[in-house]
Amino acid sequence: MTNPDTTGPGGASRSDEQVAASLYAKAEKIYPRQVHGLFARLRVLGVLGLLGIYYITPWLRWDGHQALLLDLPARKFHIFFVTLWPQDFFYLAVLLIIAGLVLFFVTALAGRVWCGYACPQTVWTEAFLWIERKVEGNRMQQQKLDALPMSARKFRIKGTKHFLWLAFSVWTGFTFVGYFSPIDELGRNLLVFNIGPWETFWILFYGFATYGNAGFMREQVCKYMCPYARFQSAMFDKDTLVVSYIPNRGEPRGSRKRSVDPVAAGMGDCIDCTLCVQVCPTGIDIRDGLQYECIACSACIDACDDVMDKMGYDKGLIKYTTEHAMQGGTTHILRPRIIIYAVILLAIFAAFGYSFSQRISLGLDVIRDRNTLYRETSDGLIENVYILKVLNMDNAEHQYELSVSGIPGLTLHKDMAVIRVESGGIMELPVRLRADEADLEARSNDVVFELVATDDDSLAVSEDARFLGPR
Amino acid sequence: MADKQVPKTQKCIAVLWPSFMVAVVATGLFFSAFDPDDLFPFGEQAEVSRLGVYSIGFLLFWLVSAISGIGTLYFAITNCMRQNPGSRG
Ligand code: SF4
Ligand code: SF4
Repeated sequence: MTNPDTTGPGGASRSDEQVAASLYAKAEKIYPRQVHGLFARLRVLGVLGLLGIYYITPWLRWDGHQALLLDLPARKFHIFFVTLWPQDFFYLAVLLIIAGLVLFFVTALAGRVWCGYACPQTVWTEAFLWIERKVEGNRMQQQKLDALPMSARKFRIKGTKHFLWLAFSVWTGFTFVGYFSPIDELGRNLLVFNIGPWETFWILFYGFATYGNAGFMREQVCKYMCPYARFQSAMFDKDTLVVSYIPNRGEPRGSRKRSVDPVAAGMGDCIDCTLCVQVCPTGIDIRDGLQYECIACSACIDACDDVMDKMGYDKGLIKYTTEHAMQGGTTHILRPRIIIYAVILLAIFAAFGYSFSQRISLGLDVIRDRNTLYRETSDGLIENVYILKVLNMDNAEHQYELSVSGIPGLTLHKDMAVIRVESGGIMELPVRLRADEADLEARSNDVVFELVATDDDSLAVSEDARFLGPR
Repeated sequence: MADKQVPKTQKCIAVLWPSFMVAVVATGLFFSAFDPDDLFPFGEQAEVSRLGVYSIGFLLFWLVSAISGIGTLYFAITNCMRQNPGSRG
């Protein structure tokens, strides 16, 4: 992917190309070897769980509607029993902030567990690797196949793999769009090839992104594109859990027979089998120390533990540890950074919970008639015209009472006798306000509209507006 | 060539990817404040669904921020070249 352009138009000297090549080494394709072990099982569990949630959730129903539907066309978000409106954007923003803080908190505590087990990039790459292994065989068979010239057999194998990848990607894209546009309808339309142009666009867009990211970009997304990978080190301290090789124990490394006693031979426990490098999805050597490319997937732990077992040594030459523990100290879980993150998180969460519970499912918008500032009625009063928009965000129909205040003797006139709005409905209500010029204090006067549900006092909102007059 | 040092793919990613993220945020903010139906009160967009308006809005935001990204990349590279004339290609 990061192939330096060595065939550009003339002008570039040879040495330039060498500089380019050394600055941005051509990315070698990485063939991660499959691992078995405790953490591999955990990851498979994580991957299956998350993929399951992703593909199943849009099909769940709740109370007669799709349980999780961010209905962009209708401008409402159904999240199980809550319905959010564009007015509630604030809550979504706060939720995102909370999610970000949780990530900070978890990172400080446990390092990049997100990357290794839960990041969509990891999850879909694992799924694609699984398909690749099923079709092309293990690491060695894959490498051999890639080295061969194109043949009917190679073409068939590669073709099968890409077909499966593409099918999986399109399904992923379809599911993605299903979060934003009712999925059962989308599914029915898909069956008769009658999907709207923009739905089609997004299915293909998301599908293509999946195919590219999980099939080809893989670890390069983590290395070059992921913002989290760039700033996660700021959240690390000496008590953060990291995957690390224990050099004191491993060095000097070297291959040996199983019968050789390493202590007598003056060797460390690392037999230099390079399995830890072969399994690494980002292609690094963990024995070189902590590197920002390491996504803490712990594949190398599983691989090395296996080797240690076979050699009859203790496990844990590569393990989850902290810098403090490696230096022989103790790891402090409760430390200022953790406590501060936790306190901020709790505070925001409490504020969110409180403000959400106080959320009023009624919206009122006041728009002044733009054509005339004011007009004088036949009996000498000043009249202003407004359009009110009443939005019932509650799950039941309501009738509302409208009142206005701010100017002595102000009167409200509307054509509709009752204001009744169905659940989820919007009503446009033209109203006229009249006041005596003598009561106006300035050219522009503040007035307040108040709207209350007749059957529920807590459903009440007020909205400011201006009343213009000649003064 | 001013930009011999950085592979094309990386330049594309450096421009397209951050602008993509900015466009997502901008689209979210913009369309939670404005309903496409209110933006075109006279029904100009009648043939385009709301999803279509969102998508076009998103693509426009992406385009605009990508243009700004190209500018940033261009200036970063050319300035870098001026400071290290030895590496000029
Ligand atoms: S897997 Fe373990 S023994 Fe093998 S090279 Fe890596 S650290 Fe050494
Ligand atoms: S070094 Fe180990 S933990 Fe880090 S990415 Fe490679 S295999 Fe995973």
